[in-house]
Order: sequence, then structure tokens, then C-alpha cells
Amino acid sequence: MSDYLFDKTGDDRDVAELEALLGDYAHRAPLRDPPPRRPRWRTAAAGAGVLAVAAAATALWLWRRGDDGCPAAGSGFAFAVEGGPARCAGSAATRGTLPVGAWLETSDRAVADVRIADIGSLTVYGDSRVRLVDTGAAGHRLELARGKLSARVVAPPRLFVVDTPVASAVDLGCAYELAVDGDGRTRLRVTSGAVSLEGHGLTAYAPMNTEVLAAPGRGPGTPVALTAPPALRDAVARFDAGDPAALAALVAAAGSGDTVTLWNLLSRTRGADRAAVVARLDALSPLPPTVHADAVRAGDPAAIEAWRDALDDRWICPDCYRKR
Amino acid sequence: MAPAHRCGVDVREATIAELVVAARAGDRGAFTGLYQRFHRVVHAVALARVPACDAGDVVQDAFADAWAKLGRLREPAAFGGWILAIARNRATDAARRPRPADVAADLAVDPPPRAEAAAALRAIRELPDTYRETLVMRLVEGLTGPEIAAHTGMSPDSVRVHLHRGMKLLRERLGGEGGQR
Repeated sequence: MSDYLFDKTGDDRDVAELEALLGDYAHRAPLRDPPPRRPRWRTAAAGAGVLAVAAAATALWLWRRGDDGCPAAGSGFAFAVEGGPARCAGSAATRGTLPVGAWLETSDRAVADVRIADIGSLTVYGDSRVRLVDTGAAGHRLELARGKLSARVVAPPRLFVVDTPVASAVDLGCAYELAVDGDGRTRLRVTSGAVSLEGHGLTAYAPMNTEVLAAPGRGPGTPVALTAPPALRDAVARFDAGDPAALAALVAAAGSGDTVTLWNLLSRTRGADRAAVVARLDALSPLPPTVHADAVRAGDPAAIEAWRDALDDRWICPDCYRKR
Repeated sequence: MAPAHRCGVDVREATIAELVVAARAGDRGAFTGLYQRFHRVVHAVALARVPACDAGDVVQDAFADAWAKLGRLREPAAFGGWILAIARNRATDAARRPRPADVAADLAVDPPPRAEAAAALRAIRELPDTYRETLVMRLVEGLTGPEIAAHTGMSPDSVRVHLHRGMKLLRERLGGEGGQR
């Protein structure tokens, strides 16, 4: 049944006439520039007394509570679970605060939303095991021992880190998925911004729309675009597994959408192999005038990073994301 | 060394909670996204309480407050209810200030509306609190009932009831069926 007043279906002459009459008052003004926020130290000073009292009360409550579950409030990451049971610090929990050192474990159908202090949020999917390692002004660190999470973070680079059994995902902003299987094998998929996957002396730089695998005993592999062709993926897998002969196939299979893979190979190859990667990457995305090919071929970290800075404009959607 | 990244939420696609989290971290673009989604309901809350010439200022003051206090919002997804509460407080403060007669103050906007519009608006303001906000959201800002529900946290059924009861009272005040003229 039509109800114009409620959902604008059907007709109602009175309502339509009132809309036309009162529409002159509709708000169209843009937002005025909001004033700068109060410096954090003033807010902190003003709230210090309140926080001290709250901390004492929380400590007293926890002491009286006397079990091994997670507190309803206090220091740590707030979480809420839906869809199935979960355990926090060993006790059943549907919501509360995950304190430093405690594990949050979801059953196969549970999904937990977790606040990452004031910089973002996590979704922890079913059959996952997550521990808060540290949280503070210097940064926030989690451990994902098993399962899958997605993170959305808006913060300066390297402020949020997730450790897995074989690598560490260092957030460079903004959103990604991280999954760990029963052997510790880790898969990172970046959906916006960029993430650095680090471990075993290797660093994989993964911008949006790329993924990277990390395997036990050898750390992060080489990132590939989500659109990478099977031939390139196969060559990357063989190269990451230690087959140097795969590099030629990899370079040959790389197209204009695979510059991320080639750039990451610059610091994973040397000599003639690196020269071949430089030549292919230069053909697909010419070196910026300020970067010298000889320096890249020699493995100069500054030159390699300068080339990445130029490539970043292509890797990270310039229409969707603003420069900080 | 990793570069500092261009990083922000896509204001068209992000959820309210994502916009709040980004704005809290200092992303003004995300805050503008919140403004774009909520300025009409905030204006409706203001216009239901104060003359039109003040309502725009209430909107800007409410969002300035929200920007400054965003860190205190415990649940990012609850931004809608929170900003509306701020707007009600701001509008209540503004209503205490001495002003010209309602009709004159409702005509002192640019472009000036018709006198009948000012009269209709005043009739809405004389309705019980329960109905006037939803009626202004619907008749002035042009939001549908489902949109009002999504922005305010009310259930669609409650919005429907408020609209119909409020409209019935408004028709009576305006002199019967179609009586705004």
C-alpha cells in the first residue's frame, strides 16, 4: 500500500504542497572549517585525575572479581562478539576489554569486532586466536596465532603491527586482511593503503589490491597483484620457494599490472638477475629522471625507494585516497 | 623506510563507524563525509526549535562541538544519535537568546521564503516534541521515513507513526485538509 508521507510512494497532495512550500528552508550550506582540536596534553591533563580514579576502581573490581576472564572495561582493546561463543583469557565472553597478554578465541561461527584504541578497528573471524601484545602511545601490537582478521586503521605508518608465527604485518594505513593457517602459513591481502610484511630479514611491500604469502622458515614472499596471471603467480611461488631459475619466467610473465612484484624483486635479487628485473620494470614504468638505473642495479636502497615513491602514484588509487 | 601514505576512507563507501574512526584520527575529509550524511537531520533538529535565521549556526556549532569531542564518543556507529543530542543542546541554548518574533526570524534567511512557509513552520514548532523533528526532516529536508530511521536510530515503524500522527495534528492546526494556505 502506498504511503507518500512515509516513503514517497503514491500521492498525497497536501504533503506534496507542504514539501514544496517548506523546501525553501532545506539545509544546503557546506561545513565551515572546524577549529583545531585542543592539544592532547590539555585533554590528558584534564582527564588525568578521572583516569586515576577509574584505574583504581577497575583494579579493585578485577581484584574482587577473582576469575581469569576479561574485564568489562579498563586498559586494552574493547571487543564485542556475535554469531557464536568466544573466550577471552580462558572464560566465555561476548563483550568486554581484551587486556595486554590475554587471548581472544572465537568459535567457528563467531565474529568479534575489536576497537584498536582510537586508530581503527578489527574484525576477528571464526576459529581465530588473537592476543594483545602491547598497546600505548608508541604503538599497538597484536598476535594472530590462527584464523583470520581484517583491520581498518587510520594512523601514522608503523603504529599498528600484527605478528603471525612467520611474519609481522606492519600497517602503513589503511585496510587489509590477514589469515594464518594451522601451520602458521600467512596470507596478507591489502584492500587499501599499504602494508609491510616483515620477517626472516625480508620485507614485502604490499600496496592496495595485492597479496603476499609468508611460509614457515622463509618469511614473506614476493607480493603479487590480485589480478596477476596464473603464469606469474606460479613463477613467484617457485622463486619464493628457492628456485632461482623461476626468475626468467617471472620477468617474462610480468605485465603492466605487475610492477609491484617487479619492484619487490629489486631487493631480492642481485647481479644479472636484478639487471633483468630493472630492465623489465623500466620498460613497464620508466625510471623517474631523478633515479639512476646504475644505482638501482647496484642495489642502492635510496634509489630503489625513490622508484617506489614514483610507482606509488599508480599503485594506490589517486582518485580515492588523499595524500596525508 | 616506509613512506607516509595517502590514506583515507572513501567517504562515499565508508560506514559511519569508519568515518568516525578516520575523523577521530584527524581526517577532515572523513568528518566532512559525516557532515554530508547528517547535516540535514541536524538542521531539522535545530529548525524544530529555533528560528530559521539561527538554525544554520546551530548546525555549524553542533559539528564544531562534535569535531572537538569526537574522541569521547565510545561507540563510533552511534554517531547519529550523538550528534543529534549535541544539536538539541545547542538549539536549546540558542532558543534562550532574545530574538525577533518567530515569523520575522523565519523570514530572515536567504533566499527569503514565502510567508505561508513561515506560518507552516511555526505550526510545526507548536506540535509536541515527539512529532516536530520527524516532520521537519520529512517536509523540509525531504528525507523519506526509512532515511529518517537510518539517521536517527528510530525504528521505521516509529517514524511512520510519528509522521502520521504529527501530520494529522498539523492539518488540524493549519485549518483542516490541505489547510496550509
